[in-house]
Amino acid sequence: MMKKRTIFAVAAVMVAILLICGCTGQPPAEKQQLRIATTTSLYDTGLLDHLKPMFEKEYNAEVLIISAGTGKAIEYGQRGDVDVLMVHDRPREDAFIADGYGINRRVFAYNYFIIVGPESDPAGIKGMEPEEAFKTIREKGMAGEPGVVFVSRGDASGTHSKEQAIWKAAGFNYSTDIRGSGDWYREAGTGMGATLEMANELQGYTLSDIGTFLAYQRDLDLVTLVDEGDILLNVYSAMQINPEKYPDINSTLAKDWINFLISDEVQEEIASFGVAEYGQPLFYAAKDAWEKIGVPEAEVKDPVL
Amino acid sequence: MYEIIEGFIEAIRLIVTLDPDVMAIAVRSIIISLTATIIASLIALPLGAAINFGKFRGRRSIINLIQTLYSLPTVIVGLLIFLLISRAGPLGFLRLLFTPTAMIIAQTVLIIPIMTGLTISALSGVDPVIRDTLTSLGATRFQFLINIMKEARFAILAAVAVGFGRAISEVGAAILVGGNIAASSFKSSTRVLTTAISLETSMGNIPQSIALGIVLLTIALGVNLVISTLQQGRNP
Amino acid sequence: MIELDGVSKEFDGKRVLDGVSARVERGEIFAIIGPSGAGKSTLLRLIGLLDNPTAGTIRINGIDIHASKEQSLMIRRMIGMVFQKPAVFNTTVAENIAIGLRFRGVERATVIKKVREALDVVGLAGYEERLARTLSGGEMQRVALARAMVIEPEILLMDEPTANLDPVSVEKIEELVIRINRELGTTILFSTHDMYQGQRLAHRIAVLMNGRFAQVGTPREVFTLPATRDLARFVGIENILEGVVVRRDDGGAVSIDVGGTQVRARSSFGTGERVALCIRPEDMRIAPVERKVANPDGNTLQGTVISIVPRGPFSSVTVDCGFMLSSLLSWKRADDLDLQEGSHVVVSFAPESIHVIRINET
Repeated sequence: MMKKRTIFAVAAVMVAILLICGCTGQPPAEKQQLRIATTTSLYDTGLLDHLKPMFEKEYNAEVLIISAGTGKAIEYGQRGDVDVLMVHDRPREDAFIADGYGINRRVFAYNYFIIVGPESDPAGIKGMEPEEAFKTIREKGMAGEPGVVFVSRGDASGTHSKEQAIWKAAGFNYSTDIRGSGDWYREAGTGMGATLEMANELQGYTLSDIGTFLAYQRDLDLVTLVDEGDILLNVYSAMQINPEKYPDINSTLAKDWINFLISDEVQEEIASFGVAEYGQPLFYAAKDAWEKIGVPEAEVKDPVL
Repeated sequence: MYEIIEGFIEAIRLIVTLDPDVMAIAVRSIIISLTATIIASLIALPLGAAINFGKFRGRRSIINLIQTLYSLPTVIVGLLIFLLISRAGPLGFLRLLFTPTAMIIAQTVLIIPIMTGLTISALSGVDPVIRDTLTSLGATRFQFLINIMKEARFAILAAVAVGFGRAISEVGAAILVGGNIAASSFKSSTRVLTTAISLETSMGNIPQSIALGIVLLTIALGVNLVISTLQQGRNP
Repeated sequence: MIELDGVSKEFDGKRVLDGVSARVERGEIFAIIGPSGAGKSTLLRLIGLLDNPTAGTIRINGIDIHASKEQSLMIRRMIGMVFQKPAVFNTTVAENIAIGLRFRGVERATVIKKVREALDVVGLAGYEERLARTLSGGEMQRVALARAMVIEPEILLMDEPTANLDPVSVEKIEELVIRINRELGTTILFSTHDMYQGQRLAHRIAVLMNGRFAQVGTPREVFTLPATRDLARFVGIENILEGVVVRRDDGGAVSIDVGGTQVRARSSFGTGERVALCIRPEDMRIAPVERKVANPDGNTLQGTVISIVPRGPFSSVTVDCGFMLSSLLSWKRADDLDLQEGSHVVVSFAPESIHVIRINET
């Protein structure tokens, strides 16, 4: 008798909570919301927060940006938790599109990864091609050359993907030749900033995106050693989540965002972003560089419909 | 060293000048965690009372389970809630992911075990003679519960304060289900003190991180002050 | 109005109460005395509906109080209870006393009035806004009494209410108990391990031993005519001698052989019966052996003083007359007699002061 009453009270409270949640869950539809999942290295540069107000004003919308590692961002897209996915991992994007989760991909910016390391450069890689530089680091590292250490993101991020691609291009099997092959190779398992700080502490080499490196450069005793080479190309693209998979995706606003990114005005904005602060741009506009990037012209120019 | 000092000076400036970003994040943190604490109280307090005064089989095991859940890793709670409310999940139709509501739910779930457990200890700590006295004075079951809670009010409030402290200092679940969004409207944003500290650090904005850290520490310190005051049984 | 009928209670297979039966009349003060651990609190808790008996029934006004849950609240609200440990709620004195009235939905103005009256009665007028936890033990217990009293219960149960209190507080509580009984006609059951308190307050006393009432009677009956040897020992009769009735005279006089010594007493038991003789130490007189004692009908025994121990305003003198006898003398009397350990004395006592109990060989 008494027990029943207690259970009833608990049940009533839970129902009340569900109601509260239900009510606050859907905000009044005064403004449309666009949810974007993006990779941390892109978000941390501040580019998106810089572009966001322009878009919001033009389209009377609210942009919600969720930044996470590339893997997690793709997961958000796959589960239909966001409307737009913005990452920099071409092979995984291709798989994502092939699986039918993403459509209307457009490339809106690119820059280069850089190999950074201590000014003393104990492995002597300065000016080398990226593949050769990696090969040299491994060789000297395996040989126990003092001070030769490579710090990897080790977190399945886009940057980590790129690093693995370079090892592959240099002729190594990442999981057998590199990973766990010796004390010279360290996995940080964390974000770019923390990985740079770790490389700084160890005075080791690492692969970084230019944006994060510039943001941290002031606090680091690391310098850019290799910044040229096709393989270092870092291509940022945006795509919308397939509304056929998730019907309540905000498809219209997603298209607006993608078209906004490849518009002339925004492309110029991207190309000049960061110049004032770092004296050099963090990104290059993709608009006229489709050949360099190696994608069809339509993927940088044609608005999505 | 220079970096830390410089960070501190800038942090103090941000706080003293009531920097709108820092203040918005602090206020949002408090609102979200306070809401979670209130909802958790509404569940944990009656639940704790039901378990403490209930006579049923497996009561001891339930208490053990609750105590085990004290150390529930926050990311696991976050993951669980994420899987439930993600669009592809069973509650996806509610569209709760990446909203403050989602963070409230996660924090609520996270602190219910410890608040329930502490409520049970608070209630079982009440002198048996007090319980007998209430019964003998002709209390109904409800009057009995209310008055036992009143008697244990300091310990129960301490349980609530502990819950709040845990909610506001939690980061794993908050980032997973909240998404650390800085939207242009206050109510769509899910950036709270802990997630902002984590982000600002990864963006290299050390002073901002330190400022947010100081605010969080101040809140945690205040909460602890409340707890220790309550545990001494004085009037707050 | 309260009937205990074969009430038993076990805890984890251990039988604490083993068939307690008695009847308490309306308006009576009924004391339950017994050694610690005899089950006094358990019995009161059963009557107060704080626990259920393993067997037996308790009826109040003819209703079996443990029979149905539905009427449990109604019955609990007829009963007030005060516990051994002074327990107050962590709030003001006024709130403490008001709580029972609040439970019953009594309106505010009446509550305030009744609380004030109750505080007056227990001598704590003006204490309304004090924090109850800051009071002394005696004051707390008076608050507890006021709290139980203010709901005007038909029955007031008190479980060793003065056990932890100082003598002055004990006296105040005792005064209040008598006053509540007289003025409100409240039936009061209380337990105590202090026999004299039972004697001071109770109309009737029940002695709880080995899980049941060994004797129920007026204080005089219980103290002078204990039903068993154990009871005699418990109520403080120090001289308990064992013997056999050897001769019956006319007029109820008997001669009893106690280890070779003949003792004269009054009893209806026949020759050959094994009996215990209870003699209160204060009924025993001591005189120097030289002085002739003219006491033809009485008992006069010679012996040696073994010990003299002060006890309150008296001296307890133990004399070896073949068996040990204790006598209680005032200090002055003991000094006048110039008693020392080893003194030869004559102990005398009247046959009428001996209470004879048959010993059951079981």
